[in-house]
Amino acid sequence: MGKKINIWYISSFLISIAVAIPIVTVFSSFFETTGNYSSIIKDTFLYDYIFNSLTLLVGVLILTFIIGVGCAYLVSFYSFSGANFFKWALILSFAVPAYIYAYSLTAFFENYGTAFSILKNLFGEGNYNVYIPKFDGMMGAIISISFSLFGYVYVLTRASFHYQSQNLIELGKNLGFSKKKSFFKIILPSARPAIVAGLSLVAMETLSDFGSVSFFGISTLTTGIYNAWISFDDLALANRLSFYLLIFILGLFILENLSRKKAQYHSPSKGGFKSKSLTVLKGYKATLALTFCATVFFISFLFPVLQMLYWTIIFPKHLADLNVMELFLNTILLVFLSSIVLITLAFISNYGNRVSKSKFLEILNTFSISGYAIPGIILAVAFITFVSWFDNNIVSFFGFNTIKSIFIGSVFGLVIVYFVRFYSLANNGIKSGYLKINYSIDESAYLLGYSKFKTFKDIHVPYLKNSMLLIGILIAIEIIKELPITLIMRPFNFETFATTAYIFASQDLLEAAAVPSLFLILIASFFIIITSRYILKD
Amino acid sequence: MTKNFLEIENVTFAASTKSKVNNVSLTIENEGDIICLLGPSGIGKTTILRTIAGLEKIQSGKILLKNKIISSKDIHIQPENRNISLAFQDNSLFPHYNVIDNIRFGAERNKTKKKDLTTDEVIKFLHLTHVKDKFPHQISSGEAQRASLARALLSKPDLLLLDEPLSNVDQSFKEEIQVKLKQILTDLKITTIIVTHDSYEAFYLGSKCGIILDSQLKQYDDPYNVYHFPNSVEVVNFLNRGILIPAKVTGENSLESEDLGSITGNFIKHYPKGSEVQLLLQPEDLEHDDKSNLKLEVVDRRFRGTNFIYTLKTESNKLIPVFVHSHHIHQHEVDEKFGIKRPINIDHIVCF
Repeated sequence: MGKKINIWYISSFLISIAVAIPIVTVFSSFFETTGNYSSIIKDTFLYDYIFNSLTLLVGVLILTFIIGVGCAYLVSFYSFSGANFFKWALILSFAVPAYIYAYSLTAFFENYGTAFSILKNLFGEGNYNVYIPKFDGMMGAIISISFSLFGYVYVLTRASFHYQSQNLIELGKNLGFSKKKSFFKIILPSARPAIVAGLSLVAMETLSDFGSVSFFGISTLTTGIYNAWISFDDLALANRLSFYLLIFILGLFILENLSRKKAQYHSPSKGGFKSKSLTVLKGYKATLALTFCATVFFISFLFPVLQMLYWTIIFPKHLADLNVMELFLNTILLVFLSSIVLITLAFISNYGNRVSKSKFLEILNTFSISGYAIPGIILAVAFITFVSWFDNNIVSFFGFNTIKSIFIGSVFGLVIVYFVRFYSLANNGIKSGYLKINYSIDESAYLLGYSKFKTFKDIHVPYLKNSMLLIGILIAIEIIKELPITLIMRPFNFETFATTAYIFASQDLLEAAAVPSLFLILIASFFIIITSRYILKD
Repeated sequence: MTKNFLEIENVTFAASTKSKVNNVSLTIENEGDIICLLGPSGIGKTTILRTIAGLEKIQSGKILLKNKIISSKDIHIQPENRNISLAFQDNSLFPHYNVIDNIRFGAERNKTKKKDLTTDEVIKFLHLTHVKDKFPHQISSGEAQRASLARALLSKPDLLLLDEPLSNVDQSFKEEIQVKLKQILTDLKITTIIVTHDSYEAFYLGSKCGIILDSQLKQYDDPYNVYHFPNSVEVVNFLNRGILIPAKVTGENSLESEDLGSITGNFIKHYPKGSEVQLLLQPEDLEHDDKSNLKLEVVDRRFRGTNFIYTLKTESNKLIPVFVHSHHIHQHEVDEKFGIKRPINIDHIVCF
């Protein structure tokens, strides 16, 4: 088919460009002059920022690998009490953002915290604070982020293990491999692309984390960006730091992309796939497997939920003071608007790419979806930078009134930045749906007299409606938890559960942060439960 | 303007550098004619169909359908506006509709046209009744292929293109479907181009066959001529139903072979006396005779149901295939001697 420029091509091009603008803004900052703070940073904190970011990254990657792969292996290859429950229950950890986990961790282990109260109630007065370990600083951040993010590794590895054919396992047996050798020589290597993909997502999220590292007072590149902008009012330096972080993250992103391409080779084929027969565990082995999964489930989900619930119950005043309905409606409004914009535009862009088969559009699209890898805080800053530049140079040149208020501190602007941040989520969802539609299906439709629009409307949209629903829910889960963009871009007096929890926590009012945190987790859990079948499937 | 139904003039069909067929010219004279294109895998047969359907563009030449240019360097009618239907070799059913709904998509295309063929009839003859309510992922590749064929048939196109339409269909009802398909296409006067690698299928279904080899349309003729009068050594080798042995022309109707002696028959092409030629020997050219003094060694025997194909070795180590009816009571084992009836007379002599 021809590669001529048509309405689909133009739509796809414009959407990709719109998503790419904040990213380009960050890149262009490399050539801008920074303030004096820049040289101070270079001499003092930059090393700390990089060292802390890397330490955090390595710690989180190791922990998420152990937890994620361990759980995925147990529930995929063995049958034991509770295995079916843990199979989906472990993904509930997605409902707990790292910053809320951090609040729970601190609240439980701090001096005279929940752990202290429990011990006091059980054993009477005592100097328990000495014996209670303190998970703060770097250790606290590593634990919080790991238990909040291990789900990525778990879901992708489990899917890979799930689709590993019994033939592969039998082949190992046939070659005389022991179970241990089968695991290290066959099972693990064939799941490697999935594991790498999961770890890459974890890495990107870790480097973007703002809520938990700022709560624990760790200086990373992300907090450095925030400080450069908020404390020193040096937008150019904030962008420069963003640029360094972006380069690092883009490297990871490419790695993840490459590994995903390989992962396609592990998809099940209709012919040769034979589902696995699970090994039934008995005795102490069954107990060990159950204990491992139960511990992970408890620590990752029940622990923060119970901690927040505990505070909500013992401090009912905070629940009474909070306008839950308003926070709920604000959150749902953002979810609704963003989902519609994201899904519609991702759909149009993907169809445009599919119809025009343009290499250029493909590259532009790949570049633009890197927005997901960019910390929300960078995107928000970049967006504000761009709007300010546009307003100062273009709008004022033509003598129009300032447009800043339309885009900055408005729901509209907030949705735009969400759009850039989560575009890859919507885009990849639609794209993977499209990958399942053989191109000959489009061609069949054309040959049956369908125009491109009718093919889109009558063939693609109905076929991908489940994908759209799923993407909508995934977007909802992300937006409910999202913190830095909402914090920076929201209109005055417009709060969500996430921002309210953050504001209370930053004022050291952790018990007050518990109520919005609990609602946030419950709503996110609801969405996760209704989509768990799809999340676990792919 | 031409009066042919379809005319392809000097078109180079190219989807990639590998899959390219150069400078093709062929015509389908009448509405309702069926032609078949034969050739090895990856030679570009599917590209030809895709280009005629409008899914690929051409850089030179032109394609005319019913006297109207549908493809040329400057003109490209979009596939949805050509009324040409293509049944793909792979599964191209809409995955979210069941088989019957997929097939109805075809029936809806030309609703205004007189209905000579109903959906039920097509479903029945293509043995799809038991899967009509199933979804594409629940049926076999052969069933999907037949459903795709049903959809294409029901769309009543001006030109129907079938890409290996029965390649995944079970042998048990392949022949039955071939018979019925030919009957329907002929009755409804649906002009059809079929791509296949099965020469028997091509010879049965097509009123003409095109052989595509070495990026070229080597021969385009009726099936009898393609088989009995191949126009090049490449076509002989592709059809793989004969062997070339050296011989010398000894007269207007005779030649002499070192291995078989004197051979008589009608030359398809004239060669001067004394010419050294390569004679095409097909399995049915030689007759078996136990009493003959011309005996060759059996090196292989293949049972084909209705016949045996013996492979005989000549003194110059040439391997000659000979066809023998399977009811022939004197079966010969490998290494035994096998008699060839003399004098050898071949109805039509093909030499290169």
